[in-house]
Amino acid sequence: MGLLLFVPGFHNDYINLTFRNILMYAAMSYGWNMIGGYTGYVSFGNVAFFGIGAYCSAVLSRAGVNNLFADVGLALVVCALFAIVVGLPILRLRGHYFGIATLGVALGLTDLANNLDFLGGSGGLNLKQADQAHFYLYYYAMWVVTLVCMVATFFIARSKLGYAFVAIRENEEAAQVLGIAPTRYKVTAWAIGAMMGGAAGAVFAPANGFVDPGTAFALDNNVFPIAMAILGGMGTASGPFIGALLLSGVNEILQQKFLWLHSLFFGAIIVLIVLFLPRGLMYLVGLRGGLRRWFSDLRAFRV
Amino acid sequence: MQLLLQNLVNGILSGGILALVALGFSLVYGIMNIINLAHGAYIMLGAYLAWQLFTSLHLDPMLSVPLAFVALFVFGYAVQRTIINRVVRAPVLATFLLTFALSLVFVTIALFIWTGDTRGVQTSYAGANFTLAGVTVPWAKLLTLVVALAITGLLYLWLHRSKMGRAIRATSMDVGAAQLVGVRVPHVYGITYGLGAGLAGAAGALLTLSYPLTPTMGDPFLIKGFVVCVLGGLGSVEGALLGGLVYGVISSFATQFDVTILGQHLSGTGLQDVVALIVLLLVLIVRPRGLVGRATV
Repeated sequence: MGLLLFVPGFHNDYINLTFRNILMYAAMSYGWNMIGGYTGYVSFGNVAFFGIGAYCSAVLSRAGVNNLFADVGLALVVCALFAIVVGLPILRLRGHYFGIATLGVALGLTDLANNLDFLGGSGGLNLKQADQAHFYLYYYAMWVVTLVCMVATFFIARSKLGYAFVAIRENEEAAQVLGIAPTRYKVTAWAIGAMMGGAAGAVFAPANGFVDPGTAFALDNNVFPIAMAILGGMGTASGPFIGALLLSGVNEILQQKFLWLHSLFFGAIIVLIVLFLPRGLMYLVGLRGGLRRWFSDLRAFRV
Repeated sequence: MQLLLQNLVNGILSGGILALVALGFSLVYGIMNIINLAHGAYIMLGAYLAWQLFTSLHLDPMLSVPLAFVALFVFGYAVQRTIINRVVRAPVLATFLLTFALSLVFVTIALFIWTGDTRGVQTSYAGANFTLAGVTVPWAKLLTLVVALAITGLLYLWLHRSKMGRAIRATSMDVGAAQLVGVRVPHVYGITYGLGAGLAGAAGALLTLSYPLTPTMGDPFLIKGFVVCVLGGLGSVEGALLGGLVYGVISSFATQFDVTILGQHLSGTGLQDVVALIVLLLVLIVRPRGLVGRATV
């Protein structure tokens, strides 16, 4: 993570953009990890918060405010409020039903953004174009956002709050018996994750200079962060970052080598990862018993 | 009154195909606990198969429906036995990611074979319609609805009457117990996944009558199918049918929604999915297991 601070030193816009995207995906992955990894409530709609964050910056820019602190601040407040209001009813749903409800929220917001004039409709909104100095500023801003997400995850996981999240994941009824009010903790986890995704979106929008429903609520931005968290290790403080680095890195290299068929190879690589590491890289770290154990564990997943 | 009736008919007409899309998704979801993100890709493959047969052999898409079903059934069976079966008991997110990656592969291959250009099937009856009691009904959509309903009915009977259907339902209730009474679970899973893909393929072939074709055409149907099967209740044929029709009718009525708030014009045509999704959320809050009670097949 610290090494990534030196990326702007290359003075190469392409490298800069690539690593900024890796950081952005890592932050989104941390956001998903909070609700999906720690409390075990699998959300399929976390891109909603990234989109809200991006639109917060766009609306501020249209109102004449071009300040990253204001952008991120507004995104944090709006995302947290939205997450609480939406989370109170839908976090009472269990399992897949929660997942589909979150997907519904993300899709609903996409349609709304497409139809509201003050958000630019389907044409989107332009933000004040970034000059060269800002280009690096956005990189550092994204770096700070990701670092904060990582550190926050690390400390939350070791606090009473984090233990409550894990208790809910392992057995919600038992957690309740122990005096943990599930809904309150689930909404807290959901809102913290929402703020992480929102901050990433708030930095992304001015860096990109343009926001429309297709970029703010992209389907890929919904699935990639989940894939990264699974690969790196769900419910860990380093997993999302490692997953983002590996998966984005592989995707970027493939795009360079095979412009046409890169999705084919990218898909094939994910297939192989799932087939051989269905529990992510963290499984290998904790593996005792070598290859034999690995393959016998894999066989347990077959029918 | 006329408008009300027209909207109701439009909704039912578009709901039939949604039910068919949701049916395959729901089967795989309910029986194997796999969120099959490749479902949209199977719809797309079925549609392109029908398009290819239409362009090179002038075969009517209606005749391609059974062909697409069989082709994708075989394909789905093979995909399940060779790839998905290896991680079928892993946590649900593993198969979620796996089917997402598979869909990426299928869509890229389709992009390579058929390019990204928008394609369409022009049948002789494409624009034809008839009017009954002042309500306009397009023939193509009516035909689509009838075929979708017929397939749903056949599937229901097959699941409840045939030996294989019973084996499938038994497996969905208790894998271990099914194995004890001699059900070959890998084969049953292969058949189930094949059925899901086949139904998607049939839906895709039907869709060519009224929708343009692109390699990513399956995405919106995948998402609607997901919503519809949860709306109706997971893994149940009746649920998928009811959910599809309800979704169709609601989004059809939503097009009539037209207001201006604080100078912001809101038209229902762009927001029909928002309205349908709000209804979904309300249904889930009142009935957390969908419209048709318990999740059984």
